[in-house]
Amino acid sequence: MRSYECNRAANSSEVECLPTPRVVVIGLASCFGCQLQITNMEQHLMDVVGQFELVYWQLASSEPMPQEYDVAVIEGAVTTLESMETVRQLRQKAKTIITIGACANTAGIPGIAAAGFNGHSSEVYSQGVPNACGQVIAPRSVGSVIQVDYQVPCCPIDFYDFSAVLSRALYGSNRTVPNRTMCGDCKRNETQCFFEKGELCLGLVTKGGCGARCPKLGRPCFGCAGLSKDANLDAARDSVARYGIEVAEFESRLQLFNQTNEALCEGAKGEYHA
Amino acid sequence: MPRTTISVDHVARVEGHGNVHVVIEDGVVKDVKMEIVEPARMFESMVKGRSYKEASYISSRICGICSASHVITDLKAVEQAFGIEVSQRTSMVRELLVYGSYLQNHAAHLFVFATPDFINEASIFPLAKSNPDLFAKALELKGLGNRLCTAVGGRSIHPITAVAGGFTHEIGAAEYLAFADEMEAMVPFAQDVVDLFAGFRICDFQTQGDMLALVQPDYYPVQSSDTLRFFGDGVEEFATADAFDHISEYQVDHSGAFFAKRASNGKPYMTAALARINASWDHLGKTAKIASAKAGLRPPALNPMLNNVAQAVELVDALERCARICRELAKGEGSCTPAPVRPKAGVGVGVTEAPRGVVVHKLEFDDRGCVVKASITTPTAQNLANLECDIRLLAGMLAESGTSERIIRAEVEKLIRAYDPCISCSVH
Repeated sequence: MRSYECNRAANSSEVECLPTPRVVVIGLASCFGCQLQITNMEQHLMDVVGQFELVYWQLASSEPMPQEYDVAVIEGAVTTLESMETVRQLRQKAKTIITIGACANTAGIPGIAAAGFNGHSSEVYSQGVPNACGQVIAPRSVGSVIQVDYQVPCCPIDFYDFSAVLSRALYGSNRTVPNRTMCGDCKRNETQCFFEKGELCLGLVTKGGCGARCPKLGRPCFGCAGLSKDANLDAARDSVARYGIEVAEFESRLQLFNQTNEALCEGAKGEYHA
Repeated sequence: MPRTTISVDHVARVEGHGNVHVVIEDGVVKDVKMEIVEPARMFESMVKGRSYKEASYISSRICGICSASHVITDLKAVEQAFGIEVSQRTSMVRELLVYGSYLQNHAAHLFVFATPDFINEASIFPLAKSNPDLFAKALELKGLGNRLCTAVGGRSIHPITAVAGGFTHEIGAAEYLAFADEMEAMVPFAQDVVDLFAGFRICDFQTQGDMLALVQPDYYPVQSSDTLRFFGDGVEEFATADAFDHISEYQVDHSGAFFAKRASNGKPYMTAALARINASWDHLGKTAKIASAKAGLRPPALNPMLNNVAQAVELVDALERCARICRELAKGEGSCTPAPVRPKAGVGVGVTEAPRGVVVHKLEFDDRGCVVKASITTPTAQNLANLECDIRLLAGMLAESGTSERIIRAEVEKLIRAYDPCISCSVH
């Protein structure tokens, strides 16, 4: 397996060898699924891991967190004051921050609890939130706390997206990040539209790029990639109503992955930096 | 030995965030705390007011690695509440999906999490150099589980195709047959895995807690049974619908996860591959049973460290069972097309055997099919109280015989990992 600097050197003997980037992987409030997705591509795992020095990954190794590193890969939403401090420290030390998955990018599923947060915590913990949980706060995206350099979208992430973003972060790329909505992907796949069957689908407003995997398998989009910057929410509401689907259902479905997006709720945290 | 405190902050190679503290004074264990510091995400409160269409999608996100189990468990609760019967074919495809997650989970746990404990390494990565064949084969086995889940569920975790009443998509006969061949070809390696883990040295002790598993006449059930059994200190069988009458959850300050005990006698208990093998030993396939017996694992097997071997035995069993199911499905009989759903007010309880043990989802719906109340307990949440007791036993035994602090610490960590805790599940 050839390493990062050897590749460079092989192309031109004049290019100076760059030090191997040191990468840490951190999990916040999440299902750990995005970290698993990284391990779930067995045949490519060692090729990808071989590109850098993986200096901290609690899921796979008992090596302790180092003092210095170059790239921090963050999974999960920020749900405590302690994790807010953690991500701030990561930002201070790392040259590059990559967030992976909906929880980190948009607060994702944990973000559902952001609305009326205190009610949620007192309902689950009738005797008060245990000390072990830390100082809980309304869930928010990593990007609402610190500047994020790259995002890997969806719930869960796709390994190839991760690998593409990583290589972009390590080697650079002039490819633009698509803003289109997912609807177009379905057209390309020639998948029958769910609206024609009277079923709500969030492909209208959700960021594209996933290949519309769910609709292709018979399941409407639930919006895990987050709202597209190009989303025209008002036009989407009109379309929903035109197909005889309740707009309230559309609004409710949008909350699954966009509860803290300010495009939907004024004053909420959830700005994007990618 | 004077006062010693063994503390491991952020136990590595487990899913989620947990710390362990053991206080030993003059060779006697004074305190054991398994601190569960995983961020709370409040799933039970989060699904309230949500449609049944969204409930399983949301609860899948309780845990990446156990997602197939959470989805199937949730769908079973929905179906029970609305009175939906699923086809035999749907039930078989579900079993395949659950077993796919067994292959993923057991292979990942045994190799990525547990093996480094026994080869004195911090991670599995050095094995890529020291034993490339084993490393490659282990990844291949885990990969087979991933590909099975991807084929059946639409991706390796958080399945897309499983919905109330059936599946929105199914693979064709040729793909089923190809999987059957691959499963059968993988059996010899799984047998080697049983031998490998049977050969690792473990401390000799027995859990004092009870055990809980799904049971079914003449079958090794993972999702097809409506009967649960407590055993150990007296056998107690009950309908899955009454699960929360027999399992008593309680809150402790050092854990974000609720602990659990057997309601009838107040004892902690273990639910895991080891409990399943003890409960359903008779219904293991022949190859798995022989591998298990050869490894010295036969009921009553009460050393929790043997859960590693039990998982390896389940790999053998799962491969053979999946091959059989795939060949059956390839015949193309029946349909998985989702049965029509007519929401109504009511309560449903779904129970399955996740890779790590019994998982229960209880959902109450209003007449529009929106969740009014949800209660969820996961294998790890149920295991925590018993794990603390077992750590106390093990550390006490080692301290009494004058074992060094370094070794006690290592053995405690090994024990925690043998339970294969899924901490993010446990807090949910």
